Amino acid sequence: MLFKSLISVFLALLLNPIFINAANEKPLRVGMELQYPPFEMSTKDGTPSGISVDLAKALGKYLGRKVIIENIAWDGLIPSLKTKKIDIIISSMTITNQRKKVIDFSIPYAQSNLCILTNPTSGVKSIKDLNQKDKVVAVKKGTTGHLYAVKHLKKARILVLDKESSAVLEVIQKRADAFIYDQLTIYRDWEKHKKTTVALLQPITKNPGYWGIALRKNEPELKAKINNFIRKAKSDGTFNKLANKYLKNVKKKFIELNIPFFF
Amino acid sequence: MVYIFNFILLFAIIGLFFYFMFVGTAYNFNWQSIYEYRQMFIDGFFTTIYISFFSLILSFFIGLFFAYGQNSKIILLRFFSRFYVETIRGTPLLVQILIFFYVVAANIGLNNRYIAGVLILAIFSGAYISEIIRAAIFSISKEQYETGLSLGFTPFQTYQYIIFPQAYKRILPPLTGQFASIIKDSSLLSIISVNELTMNAQEVNSYTFSTLESYIPLAIGYLLLTYPISLYSRRLEKKMKD
Repeated sequence: MLFKSLISVFLALLLNPIFINAANEKPLRVGMELQYPPFEMSTKDGTPSGISVDLAKALGKYLGRKVIIENIAWDGLIPSLKTKKIDIIISSMTITNQRKKVIDFSIPYAQSNLCILTNPTSGVKSIKDLNQKDKVVAVKKGTTGHLYAVKHLKKARILVLDKESSAVLEVIQKRADAFIYDQLTIYRDWEKHKKTTVALLQPITKNPGYWGIALRKNEPELKAKINNFIRKAKSDGTFNKLANKYLKNVKKKFIELNIPFFF
Repeated sequence: MVYIFNFILLFAIIGLFFYFMFVGTAYNFNWQSIYEYRQMFIDGFFTTIYISFFSLILSFFIGLFFAYGQNSKIILLRFFSRFYVETIRGTPLLVQILIFFYVVAANIGLNNRYIAGVLILAIFSGAYISEIIRAAIFSISKEQYETGLSLGFTPFQTYQYIIFPQAYKRILPPLTGQFASIIKDSSLLSIISVNELTMNAQEVNSYTFSTLESYIPLAIGYLLLTYPISLYSRRLEKKMKD
């Protein structure tokens, strides 16, 4: 007994400073995975940059809080939010019902669609061709493409990979018939591998995926403030400015190809 | 009695430690969602067993061959064996898996990622096993070889009747340890989408966003596999002393 109480006292002492630190959090810690240019990326010297970073800074200004960008792997974003390692997520995250079960989202600030990257020999022409027994579909773990494939492509074999680049490689090497991801990524990947891949850029779902800023549940005050910020940024042209800064050429091409743009 | 008391004390201390740790993280456990995916954990567990088992057997033969190769009279074979052991032991398994699967296996047309996974694990582990075997044979003192000679044994007979029976005892304990680490190393195969235990736990995590709930069963799963091996290795070590 003495032992137990001694240890609990010791642990309580050890853990106390952590609690105190967590209590008076001032700067806004924004989690994102810096792997999705030009939304989340880093410059050559490693400083975070991109649309989401600028957006986070603008939000920090609006809230009057300092912003700290935390680079966290996609898989770890929601757990980090749940365990209060970060305060919000701005990482091109689509609002889904599954995610809504564990975290809260702001109103949408952008939209994107899922589409298909395939190879010339697979014979895939549309999403219908993929829901077949002999088809292999590559997805990036935890993305909306992954969730879509698990739900809607029940007959196909789903190949879950950690990295977007591995998924593209699987398609190029014909081990996978298709890779499902958002249009910007698929377009970029196709640009890099024009001979070995085919991009089917038409949206595979009726409704686009809407991106929101994620925050913990039961934080209505912060949520209201973030929603107001998004409304304001939409109306005063902040998003247009960001799009012109980072996505000028892509925007042109998207309009050419008749694909709905992000903002 | 004393043992039991100390056992309970140890568990109490560890239990208390984790209890406070988890209280401190303010994490809401949601075991219900994980339970729905229990089949994935079970499937992954058995895939891990299969993959480890086959790589175990294969890696032993690879290890044996290269242990011989390192002492071979053929210079090319000796150099190659040395090169193999050094590169495999000196580079990360992660890189080896990626290169093997996306470059080597792709070129030879090996598209089954399970077979590729078994092969790369066996090649990786074989380098360590070859060192274990080589070290054990080296550790047999010179007189033993001389004894063989003086008895008129051929080199093969010397190895068969004198060297191997002694080396065998020194090989077994580190070999079982190596087998335990193959089981853990197989978790890295998740990067080429082999549905073993780690991969499936990560997938469940991405469906449910319950990280700790997915990874705690993962840790227990590996412990269930490695602990019996570790116990067995202890017993072997004891036996060897006698």
